[in-house]
Amino acid sequence: MSEISICPDYTKLDIAMDQWSEPFWAAGTEGRTEMPRCTHCATFRWPASAFCPACHEQGIEWLGAGQARIYSFTILSVPGPDKDAPPRRRIPAVVEFDGAPGVRLVSVLIDAPVDEVAIGAAVEVAWMPAANGVVPVFRMAEGAAPL
Amino acid sequence: MKKSSAAIVGSGSTPYYFRGESAPQTMIELVCKAVKAAVADAGLKLEDVDGLASFAFGFDTAMIIEQLGLKNVTFAHCVSSFGSGMAGMFDLAAMGVETGRAKNIVCIGGTQQVGRRVGQALGNFAASPDNIFHRIAGLQGPGHALAIQARRHMHRYGTRREAFGEVVISSRTYASTREHAFRRKVPTLDEYMASPMLADPLCRMDFCLETDGALAFVVSHADRAADMPQKPVYIAGAAQVGTSDWGRAFFWMGQPEDEFTSAGAAPVAERLWATSGYQPKDIDVAMLYDHFSPLVIMQLEDYGFCKRGEGGAFVESGAMRIGGAIPVNPHGGHLSDAYVVGMTHVREAVEQLRGVAINQVKDAKTALITGGPAPSPMTGAILRTER
Repeated sequence: MSEISICPDYTKLDIAMDQWSEPFWAAGTEGRTEMPRCTHCATFRWPASAFCPACHEQGIEWLGAGQARIYSFTILSVPGPDKDAPPRRRIPAVVEFDGAPGVRLVSVLIDAPVDEVAIGAAVEVAWMPAANGVVPVFRMAEGAAPL
Repeated sequence: MKKSSAAIVGSGSTPYYFRGESAPQTMIELVCKAVKAAVADAGLKLEDVDGLASFAFGFDTAMIIEQLGLKNVTFAHCVSSFGSGMAGMFDLAAMGVETGRAKNIVCIGGTQQVGRRVGQALGNFAASPDNIFHRIAGLQGPGHALAIQARRHMHRYGTRREAFGEVVISSRTYASTREHAFRRKVPTLDEYMASPMLADPLCRMDFCLETDGALAFVVSHADRAADMPQKPVYIAGAAQVGTSDWGRAFFWMGQPEDEFTSAGAAPVAERLWATSGYQPKDIDVAMLYDHFSPLVIMQLEDYGFCKRGEGGAFVESGAMRIGGAIPVNPHGGHLSDAYVVGMTHVREAVEQLRGVAINQVKDAKTALITGGPAPSPMTGAILRTER
């Protein structure tokens, strides 16, 4: 039986955001994962920022990101809930989206059987409560085959 | 090939200490000790110092000027990146003496990890819109983030953990002959493979040391270097390159695939080879910034010592060892000797080219030094014995 990766508690985390990233977090509160695309040259950029690195214009529109897949990941040992508990696994992961080429979102893969995590695996974005909003985490997608 | 305009004429260092054990000395005290030692090594006096060069790793130039009583500093500049900028410091210094901005420029670098650890650098910054995702992920240090890049390199090219192990074992083998190196015991490959995972696929042994210390190097005009007491180590070339495909490196993780599976040094290498006239085959010994073992492999690829994607097999062939295709870090590097943000690599390059290194590469005439795979600009430099 494979170990299951942890789901961190974010309820005390204050999300730092600015006028460019705020729409990402706002969409998250409605359960949607959207990514920013340049209105001038249609290049996605990440993080959301003031200028398009491709054409240097500022206009931005937010589009649904589509299916997420694991691009790469690491497995960390983190302390258990109390000092006698064995260490647990936390899986920071970087994902790419079918609908937002060039964008890589960094977060953590939760509730995953550690031995089954693989590059290319399909994941879903889940939104977890934080102090001032919700934060995106990843879960292995049900029934989706790895690439 | 162009004649050098600048040379390293003095080298100085504090002892190296385990993380935090350099206290109660302050960072400035450590740096000033290194400067005094380097200036003495060059046969100069502190009054002769009229330039300072550094990279953005946290000390106060004005305080150094004040503490050392420097009266006429006409050049005081800093490469704007962290450890990535280390080698670029010698570009600055060469510029300074070549243009007559100053005569004797001391290049300084050091680290003291009291309270704060470089290995947890990602967690040391205040939360911002740009770093919030690393916080959510739980990526606390460069090693956590670079483990993710290392895994992608393994996935794309079939690089094996055994290759990371060879980087470690080679480093320890070099360090085993050095009395002051912190990690001198040479592990077997089995012991390496059994080392506990810190950030899978990186185990404890893939992480470099966290130590304290400061080093300094005096750079003077090449016209004067031959008349100074030490055998000059000429600066044959140096390059600094920033590119948006590398950007903030592991603070970002959005690099295109080719860059993500690299150490970010290919543009620097290209510029360095083009401007210096050298090629990888002309380098006798390479000092590669080894904060994590996979990044040595990726730098060997970036600098063209082997083909892209073949770095793992290249090191597994014994290429890094003395007598191999390109001896790498014969002092044991950050992994085994000590970590001072790349500065110990420069000291080793100077010792190799003076011909006094503990693990001397026979007749070494050229050395490559690299800044760390970290935020842009990335930097590298070539040093040599002949002007």
